[in-house]
Amino acid sequence: MSNLSNSLKASKRSIEQSRLSTLGRAFVAGGYTMYPVLLILGIIGAIVAPRFATTVNFINILEQVSVLGLTTIGLTFVVLIGRLDLSLEGIVGFAPMLAAVTLVPAAAGGIGIELPAWTGLFVALGTAGLIGFFNGFMVVRVGLNPFISTLGLLVLLRGGVLIISNGRSIYSPGKALTYLGSEKLLGLPVSVLLFVLIAVVVGLLFKHHRYGRALYAIGGNEEAARAAGINVDRAIWSAFVIAALLAGLAGVFLTGRLDSAVTTQGQGIIFSAFAAAVIGGVSLGGGRGTIVGVVSGVLLIGIINNLLTLAQVPSFYVQASTGAVIVIAAVLTTLASNRSSGVRTRT
Amino acid sequence: MGPKIMDSTQSIVEMRSVRKTFGSTRALQGVDFTVKRGEVHALVGRNGAGKSTLVSTLSGLTPADAGTITIADTTIEANGKNYAASIRDVIAHVQQTPQLFNLLTVAENLFLESPSVRGRFGVVSSRAMLQRTNELLGKWNMEIRPNSLAGELGAGARQLLEIMKALKRGVPVMILDEPTAALSNAERRLLFEQVKTLKAAGVSFVYISHHLDEIFEVADTVTIMRDGRVVKTHEPVDALDVETIADLMMGEKTVRSVRVDYMDNAASVLLEAKGIRIDQFSDEDIDFHVRAGEIVALAGPVGGGKEALAMILAGQQKPARGTISSPGSSSPRIGLVPTDRHASGYVGILGVRENVAIGGLDILSGPLGLIKTAKEQVHVGGLTRQTNVIASSLEQAVSQLSGGNQQKVVFARALCRDPQVLVALSPTRGVDVGAKEQLYALLRDLASKGLGVVVVSDEEDEIEQLANRVVIVLGGQIRDELVGKYTMNDLVLRMEGVI
Ligand SMILES: Nc1ncnc2c1ncn2[C@@H]1O[C@H](COP(=O)(O)OP(=O)(O)OP(=O)(O)O)[C@@H](O)[C@H]1O
Ligand SMILES: [Mg+2]
Repeated sequence: MSNLSNSLKASKRSIEQSRLSTLGRAFVAGGYTMYPVLLILGIIGAIVAPRFATTVNFINILEQVSVLGLTTIGLTFVVLIGRLDLSLEGIVGFAPMLAAVTLVPAAAGGIGIELPAWTGLFVALGTAGLIGFFNGFMVVRVGLNPFISTLGLLVLLRGGVLIISNGRSIYSPGKALTYLGSEKLLGLPVSVLLFVLIAVVVGLLFKHHRYGRALYAIGGNEEAARAAGINVDRAIWSAFVIAALLAGLAGVFLTGRLDSAVTTQGQGIIFSAFAAAVIGGVSLGGGRGTIVGVVSGVLLIGIINNLLTLAQVPSFYVQASTGAVIVIAAVLTTLASNRSSGVRTRT
Repeated sequence: MGPKIMDSTQSIVEMRSVRKTFGSTRALQGVDFTVKRGEVHALVGRNGAGKSTLVSTLSGLTPADAGTITIADTTIEANGKNYAASIRDVIAHVQQTPQLFNLLTVAENLFLESPSVRGRFGVVSSRAMLQRTNELLGKWNMEIRPNSLAGELGAGARQLLEIMKALKRGVPVMILDEPTAALSNAERRLLFEQVKTLKAAGVSFVYISHHLDEIFEVADTVTIMRDGRVVKTHEPVDALDVETIADLMMGEKTVRSVRVDYMDNAASVLLEAKGIRIDQFSDEDIDFHVRAGEIVALAGPVGGGKEALAMILAGQQKPARGTISSPGSSSPRIGLVPTDRHASGYVGILGVRENVAIGGLDILSGPLGLIKTAKEQVHVGGLTRQTNVIASSLEQAVSQLSGGNQQKVVFARALCRDPQVLVALSPTRGVDVGAKEQLYALLRDLASKGLGVVVVSDEEDEIEQLANRVVIVLGGQIRDELVGKYTMNDLVLRMEGVI
């Protein structure tokens, strides 16, 4: 009798355990791993820095992360299909700079074409799109390894920025270029609104659109995706274009916020983008990752930076501490995803 | 007392009350399994019965949760902890999923881990490696170059390589998990010869296969599993026949079905190949067509070009010359079951639902390209039922399914876009007898509704049960054709290239 009830209890417990583990898996797979950490961080922040938990500061954080956020979302497109794109960092600097030098008169550092003011955004995004198209071409048609081809391009674009700008930053390049990064709508920065909108749209795209499904399939097993009838080459190519466009937009935000196209603009952002993606549970081997997770990774980096600044940590220490936090967070996500899936992620 | 001692000298593997649970799946529910010295012990059961799991707990690849495992002189009380290291020297395991390094050469794959080719300071001598590889290949009568990359070899050669690598270790117990699934008849004979030689030398084998007739060719005894339990243990093969084994495996009567002819010479041609040259070495054009409602088999020896022709028809490979067209207005939707499910079949980290759905993203999505979730659920659910996929849920990762069920997922995926032509290469590889019949019935049913089917197969039975027309492809050309009523004998002779 007691034996029976014991075994009943045991089986109930095992059912509950398996239900819990299913929940845990969904939690991790959905990309929610970092949110409890963010919450704890927020509470700590509110205690140590009184200015942390204010609306103004939150909006400030969001504005700060929107540039990194767009770049990371762009990067996620190519990482999902098992590729990478280092040139995104170059695009963040180059695309708005090219737009700026075509807008302003030669006296202000321009190259003397002085395109009409409204073209600013289009030149920047068009340039970004073309660079993405070139990246796609190199990977799909020429068959280059994206690490080497985009690394080359990154260095090229860095040099390109210096060439077209003559090594000088360009101030006040015009409203068409700076509007998105400097104006407010309904009391919120346009860049924040756009970042949220793009995150939601891309999140839905990944989850519910055939294109998103194709990306996951290609990242998981490219040959299988091909055999299933997916146009793999087109998907890879377009992922590079979209990534570049988002990086271009990120660059425009940055230029708007500073009201100038700076020659060092965007430097180092690709490292933060990779860090944010991995913290957010994106597998560098492809096939795994969600926008919910990516946003958590971006927020984590943003909040840490903000907290360290508010806590008046000397700026030398900010960078090192951010690095340390990145490592800790990456360990956490990797452990969580290994435990929940039983499969080692190729991060 | 006497018989007990006898017993322990005779049996080399003893497994007692072995249990293994994956999440909510109880894969092994207290299994007893014994292998005697020098016997070939066949392990059979339907897809998902737990065969691969059982042998994995035996080799330590997947540690058992509970139970006792004795191999030779080593006894293990399993508790979920890893014990592979303690039995490494007495057991070798050829897994169902390939484990070769595709970017290493044949020689490196065979010998890289072997101390015998290492000199001082652990430096690998490539000369010794090549020499030993040549010896081994010679012993097996295999004609491949030791320095070709493993990834460039055919599926059969790769499988043999994998087996060679395990067999040469000289361990007393060998596990072969569906070794013949990817082998042609000739390659299979090579394998059986080696098995018989080693058996005579006292090596014991655990042999898993869904080709039940093979069991009577190589095995001495049979154990049958169903749903994580043993239903018949250690039966001598002589006491059994194919039907009995099939029925015990499936737990119900399985009937071998016969082909039905829905071919209609007036039916519309769905796909037409004109003047195809498979590669630049072919010197004769291939003309071929598929009509609505017919099941055509492409048969012939390995390397004869049947697979390449099928991939060209499916639009996955470019011919050296020639065109594929469809006389109808628009090009038909083509579903493909690729030949190697591990390489190009499924996406392991994705679930069953996502895997099946990627075959038909166009029909599952609305005008904006958004997937209609409800439709997806119903459509995929229906397909997995029709193809008999056994999984804990539609969300289970396909890498966690049993081999046969992975194959069924690939089959379901090919049907997902509601194809007008299905190109299926070895479509039932690794699928159990019962599910096979179910897939055959499904194909016949779809053909009766106007689907054109191209099957590529090395199995005479499969072709004979399905195909209304058999096209023999040899040396990159169409050599012969059988239409309508043909006998098994006609077929076998042509497939072997005798006629
Ligand atoms: N890593 C895993 N995670 C979850 N479930 C698993 C895992 N491996 C196996 N299973 C489950 O265990 C059961 C037994 O699988 P197993 O591979 O042993 O079957 P099998 O008899 O070899 O079948 P087949 O003939 O198709 O190869 C199946 O239900 C399978 O889904
Ligand atoms: Mg198996």
